[in-house]
Amino acid sequence: MARVIVYRILGSIAAVFGASLLAFLIMRALPGDPARVILGPLASPKALVEVRHELGLDKSLFVQYWDYITSFLSGNWGYSYTLNAPVKSLFVERFPATIELALFSFIFTMATAIALALLSTYRRRPVTDGVVRGASYLGFGTPPFFLGVLLLIIFFKSLHWLPGPEGRLGIGAEAPPSATGLYPIDALLAGDLSTFWESIRHLILPSIALGVASFSFIVRLLRANLLEVSREPFLIVARGKGLARWTAFRRHALPNAFLPTLTTAGLVLGEFLAGSVLVERVFDWPGIGSLVYEAIVKQDFAIVQAFVLFSALMFVAVNLIVDLLYAAIDPRVRIPAVTAT
Amino acid sequence: MDALNDNGSVLSVRNLSTVFETGNAATCAVRDVSFDLRPDERLGIVGESGSGKSAMALSILGLIEPPGRVSGGEILLGGRDISKLSDRQMGAVRGKEIALVLQDPSTALDPVKTIGRQIIEVLAAHEPDLKRKAARKRAVELLEDVDISHAERRLDDYPHQYSGGMRQRVAIAMAIALNPKVLIADEPTTALDVTTQAQILSLMDRLVEDHNTAVIFITHNLGVVSEFCDSVAVMYTGRFVETSGVEHIFSAPTHPYSEALLNCVPNPEKLAQGPLPAITGFPPDLSQLPSGCSFAPRCPVGKDLAQCYEKAPVTHRISCPDGEVGVECHFAEARARGAST
Amino acid sequence: MIGDEGITPALPDGPSPREAGRAGRIAKAIRSDRQLLIPVAVLVLILLFAFLVPTFWPESPSKQDLISALQPPSGSHPMGTDQLGRDVLARVSEGARISLVVALLVTLGGAVVGGVIGLFAGTLGGAPDGIAMRVMDAILAFPPLILAMAVTVGLGVGLSTAALGIALVSVPWYARLLRSEALRIRSLPFVEAAHAMGATKSRIIARHVVPHCMPVLAIQMAAAFGYAILALAGLSFIGLGAQVPTPEWGAMITEGQQFTLTGQWWIAIFPGFFLLITVTATSMVADCIRDILDPRGSYARI
Repeated sequence: MARVIVYRILGSIAAVFGASLLAFLIMRALPGDPARVILGPLASPKALVEVRHELGLDKSLFVQYWDYITSFLSGNWGYSYTLNAPVKSLFVERFPATIELALFSFIFTMATAIALALLSTYRRRPVTDGVVRGASYLGFGTPPFFLGVLLLIIFFKSLHWLPGPEGRLGIGAEAPPSATGLYPIDALLAGDLSTFWESIRHLILPSIALGVASFSFIVRLLRANLLEVSREPFLIVARGKGLARWTAFRRHALPNAFLPTLTTAGLVLGEFLAGSVLVERVFDWPGIGSLVYEAIVKQDFAIVQAFVLFSALMFVAVNLIVDLLYAAIDPRVRIPAVTAT
Repeated sequence: MDALNDNGSVLSVRNLSTVFETGNAATCAVRDVSFDLRPDERLGIVGESGSGKSAMALSILGLIEPPGRVSGGEILLGGRDISKLSDRQMGAVRGKEIALVLQDPSTALDPVKTIGRQIIEVLAAHEPDLKRKAARKRAVELLEDVDISHAERRLDDYPHQYSGGMRQRVAIAMAIALNPKVLIADEPTTALDVTTQAQILSLMDRLVEDHNTAVIFITHNLGVVSEFCDSVAVMYTGRFVETSGVEHIFSAPTHPYSEALLNCVPNPEKLAQGPLPAITGFPPDLSQLPSGCSFAPRCPVGKDLAQCYEKAPVTHRISCPDGEVGVECHFAEARARGAST
Repeated sequence: MIGDEGITPALPDGPSPREAGRAGRIAKAIRSDRQLLIPVAVLVLILLFAFLVPTFWPESPSKQDLISALQPPSGSHPMGTDQLGRDVLARVSEGARISLVVALLVTLGGAVVGGVIGLFAGTLGGAPDGIAMRVMDAILAFPPLILAMAVTVGLGVGLSTAALGIALVSVPWYARLLRSEALRIRSLPFVEAAHAMGATKSRIIARHVVPHCMPVLAIQMAAAFGYAILALAGLSFIGLGAQVPTPEWGAMITEGQQFTLTGQWWIAIFPGFFLLITVTATSMVADCIRDILDPRGSYARI
């Protein structure tokens, strides 16, 4: 068991190493001249040489890679020329907005996904099941950014039910005193119910758009797991003990069906990271995603590079944590079988 | 025993039918089956897979899931028809009055719950006031009852830490926990190796004797039937084609199908004579049963006789030297006479 | 003792594998299964829309006509016109051609590269296998779309680098899949027999491993095709894929987005709608193909 954990951790470190090398090759070594990219086509040769030196481009590739990885790990994520600020401080500043949206979206979409998966499997009515399966296919096929546009047209432009693309609160509205950085929670802590309500209203549409892909594969996976588990003999045994239908389902089908969905946490995180770049700009949400989008438009590649490496690091870390968590929860992995006594 | 049916049986099944409806095809898994079970009787039900044995077991417990349903008949237990009870009322019967043991011990226990929890679950389902400590004590006693050593310690183990035979002991412990009147064992020894099979059988033998429990023992192993059961019902395409005492089947099977089944049982004498005979052909599709005798196409007696294809045989009650026999064959009487002379 | 199989072999539902070939099974499934028939029909319609519209539709996807800019859908412009007066219908059709062709190339490219890597890694084993799989791990350490972003940012934005990025992301899916298939097939008795009779490794790959891998490869490609369409649109939406004025669906949604809130919904909605139904239909077909070719679900889903 301990050996498995050590191997898994070593594997993750190797993957991060490989990923950083890949990112370095793609974004630093191959693109030709980053200095030219940073300064634009009209830059003077002298300025180019200076920037090249500043970036260490005149050193060998090995040294460059070493500088690249050590400076990232030591918190030096580069400097944004368009925003005139260190990339890391920009990330820190934008982080709460992204986390707020991702968290809210996660809770919202997971709750819906779980409810729908239960609805389609518990009673097994073909009609409900068909609708839920259809919804999950549509969810997979719907690009999150297009869903954002669509939701704005329907709920903002036509029905006027929810606010438009104006970020986390209405224009001119004052942010609640910062405690956690998450507006709904800060507003609650400050006892400011109207700000709380406003921030929730602003969260609804972007949350749906951001969560749609995760929603669709969680529904699909959970539905398949539930169907499979509900055919297991131990469920019949539980019913044979005299347990009510729902009790047997809740105690024995749900835990067994939920356990494998843990492994999709990495996928979900990937969707949220990439999705933030696609969705935040639709709603003018001031998070890391729109920071990266602006950086792409303005060709401010330090920000994009940091985001790419940051994403890989998070992605590998979450997959590692999920694996270890899975081992800690599932008794079949946690406690090896002892045959015969 | 209290509360028997009027005719002195503990369980009386009358014209039970179960169908599975998928699309426009209706599969009749159990067709018009009737039998009585005496309070200490051990009834063996034998037949090929797909002959409706398991469907009948689940029908008695009211655990047939859609698209299947019990389409007719009565199941009398203690003078009342339990087939008309609601699922909630039936919950009080399952586990308490009729208990179930399934075939494969590796899938009959929930892999992520401890053995103890799963045993206590059956106690708690019927005795809501049961205290934690008392429940645990009874679970330990039950494990000791089924010869599991270090019961106290092994209560907190998970199913994968038990061997197959031990898991089946646990399943039996859960089934007899509340002294049920009837124990339905659906192929309880099939998935086990021969030595373990013998142990499980002798354990069941002892427990059933001690608790005075009637048993419906479903199997396709005629050897086990001869060891364990008092009476036998041979099931074919959802019907009981022959019911008799256990000696009769082995000495003078009346129905051609029973005879064919018996001929397939290997023993040293027959093996010396060359390959075992197999029953030719396949059982008919249960969704398109022929109008005549469903065994006719495979029957060595009736294969070429028009009457077997035209008319479904009725059950003939015949008094044989070894007790009364019910046989569903046009030639039952002639064959019974032929066998006895 | 009577074993179940001693009396009756288990009879699976439906035709036996020998009864109908794979193509036959697919054809039969399309006819009999409405769940497959509808998405296949939708895809056929989209194909017709992509390749037949330019043969009879007079409007060009790039011709500007500022006088009739921002016209709502009408008889002469069934999907309206955009801010430069270009016909949205012609542009959506052109976008369909771009999406389908690029997604096809991306899928084929990823499958060939990943498949070859996987086959050789699985067949050769040893150091080549180790190195190839570590490289695949490095690619898989990124959330897919973000690696594709990195590639386009690094190599210069545009349709071709976006396609390259998406293909790169998909390489490990095929490599891992075919590697495990190659390992599995290599240990099958008949392949071991061929090896014992002196067949070379490349011959074994060509004659035995490749044909057996085709079903899983087809399943993976069907799923990857839908993903490629979606990813391409995503990259174009944030300005990394197709560039203005290319009528790629994602780029059209970006362009049209600003007009949705002033009421000219048709510029963004039509390409988005086509994107949505194309990807949805593709993923439904992919699922059905999986059910037909791989009823046991023995391969890992992406």
